[in-house]
Amino acid sequence: MNITLIDSPVANVANIARALRTAGAGLRITRDAGEIASARKLVLPGVGSFVAAMRWLEETSIDIAIKRAVHSGASLLGICVGHQLLFDVSYEMGTTPGLGLVRGDVRKFEGPLPVPQIGWNRVTSSVLPNASYYFVNSYAVLDSPHAIARADYGGPFVAAVQKGRVFGVQFHPEKSSKAGLQVLRNFVAWT
Amino acid sequence: MDVIPSIDLLRGNVVRLQHGDFTLITTYGDPEAVLDGLDVPRGSRLHVVDLEGSRSGKPSEVGVVRRLARRDLRVQVGGGIRSVADARTWIDAGAEKVVVGTVAADAPEVLRAIVDDLGAERVIAAVDVRDGVVRVAGWERDARASLAEVLARVESLGIQEALVTDIRRDGALRGPSFDLYRSLSVECGGHAAARARSTAAAWPPHSISIIASGGVSTLSDVVSLARLGVDCVVGKALLERRIDLREARARVATPNAIPERIVPCLDVRDGRVVKGVSFTNIRDAGDPVECAMRYEAEGADELVILDISATDAGKRTALDTVRRVAEALFIPLTVGGGVRSIDDFRALLRAGADRVGINTAALRDPSLLSRCAAEFGVQAVVLSCDAKRLNGRFEAIVRSGKEASGVDAVEWCKRAKELGAGEILLTSVDRDGTNLGYDVELLRAVSSVLKVGVIASGGAGKLKDFREAIEAGGARAVLAASLFHDRKLSIGEVKDYLEGEGIPVRR
Repeated sequence: MNITLIDSPVANVANIARALRTAGAGLRITRDAGEIASARKLVLPGVGSFVAAMRWLEETSIDIAIKRAVHSGASLLGICVGHQLLFDVSYEMGTTPGLGLVRGDVRKFEGPLPVPQIGWNRVTSSVLPNASYYFVNSYAVLDSPHAIARADYGGPFVAAVQKGRVFGVQFHPEKSSKAGLQVLRNFVAWT
Repeated sequence: MDVIPSIDLLRGNVVRLQHGDFTLITTYGDPEAVLDGLDVPRGSRLHVVDLEGSRSGKPSEVGVVRRLARRDLRVQVGGGIRSVADARTWIDAGAEKVVVGTVAADAPEVLRAIVDDLGAERVIAAVDVRDGVVRVAGWERDARASLAEVLARVESLGIQEALVTDIRRDGALRGPSFDLYRSLSVECGGHAAARARSTAAAWPPHSISIIASGGVSTLSDVVSLARLGVDCVVGKALLERRIDLREARARVATPNAIPERIVPCLDVRDGRVVKGVSFTNIRDAGDPVECAMRYEAEGADELVILDISATDAGKRTALDTVRRVAEALFIPLTVGGGVRSIDDFRALLRAGADRVGINTAALRDPSLLSRCAAEFGVQAVVLSCDAKRLNGRFEAIVRSGKEASGVDAVEWCKRAKELGAGEILLTSVDRDGTNLGYDVELLRAVSSVLKVGVIASGGAGKLKDFREAIEAGGARAVLAASLFHDRKLSIGEVKDYLEGEGIPVRR
């Protein structure tokens, strides 16, 4: 049981659980704030609306539990909207504060390309495998001092972020074939 | 690479001639008003053709070019430049470069004099080609030199850019001549095939930059040309709003960022993979989970499962098949076949599909598309459209390829996009299972009027079919079933081939 997967109703938990298990994780899937606060390794999934996902974290006090875990040395991986939740603020439907664990803000793609972005996009990184990953998103963090991977969709955006033991990936590793599984494997094996 | 907006001028107005014929004219109006409408930014290159000048041999739109240059546009102007004095006239009016055609092809001594006077960097050589032959004087007669001779001559003068127009394609919105530009790109060292041959002593033979002109009518055309290392001028397609200049420039800035997808398809009935020719003569072809896993290992970018079960029991089996395949797969999974309601749609998503294709039911009740898009997001909604050539058009076919709907397939795809379809899976019923190649005309007819992606389906047989579906057809994904299933080609072979042709694939 080395990984605690947060059982958000605003997420594709089953797919991520399957991918994490394939990547070698022993999983505990939970909504219990106490279990989350004492976890050593957390995964925060999310799809759809930042606002709905953040509201659920607050209503369940899981936002506080996540911060407590991180402050006591746990590692955390946010996926898709879970990645966006790590940042200071999102401008999806007004202004919504995020968890504030990583510097940056979440904005709508303003380039001329159609949104949502749906599909594979090439990611360049010195940390993750340089490969194409699968994205479904209308919003993204355009820049962050903690970016470790970038991609371009009518302009650059942050594909992955790391600050200390907190990681986030904007893409769907569970849909990104070998490269995606490798990212999860790295997180599972990381100590 | 750049996308250069282009306007043709006649008597002070922006116009278009069809096939270079001065009797087939469309008038768009005052140049500055037209450019405002097209959102051409300051600092942009602008290609201007003086049509009267190209016929009469005398500069006829000097006042217009002066106005355009004052708007901070980097104007390159061509049409009827026959002497140093003509070229000088345009530069004095504020043009950044002159585009010299007839002289480059026919009168090398005059071209040399123009280069000596203006400097080679201010001269673009324009070469108009029809059926492989260089044409001059407003396209009205043959030149005395071949394309290769003209390119070699202009290059020896230090000229850095050649504008190559395929006259048959110009203004016809049928797509540029990719074969012509690919061979030029190879000869000019801008293509992978040229780099592969770089050990040969005199290879590549040219180093000039190629600007494509003629037939560029979709965003996909622009991107495909940029992948060949070729700039392009776009005229009619901008005027007709088929291409948005800002979007096109954003895409050509990184033309290889978004890979084209190779999508194997499993036709499934009663829990087994089957394959038929033109939806009939169905034969058993294996276990769906085994096939799916093999395809992902080979590099599939996505998997499509089409359930062709006819019965309710078959549909329940299909849900179980989707569940088992989804369990084994780490790429996006699209499922279609027999989806009649929002409940069917939801059940497939719950079983593990990422996207669901709707076909017959959407034609019967188009609101199903908008309701599914509202509930599950446009990224989950795929319109599956089977089209057949009937009565001089493409008609949507329903009930697994059996019944004509009376609906125009191109119009239906447009409507489906407006209702919320995130992508179109477009199958040619005529080509399905034949291995004769995709129906490129069908693909282009749909992809050229849609902003959403088209998945090409039906007819893949040879490697070049995949390239043609993407380049000429404008498809964003290419689907094949029997070809991959029967191991006539592997996904890896298709990816190697496309990459060698300059089309990016996921690795």
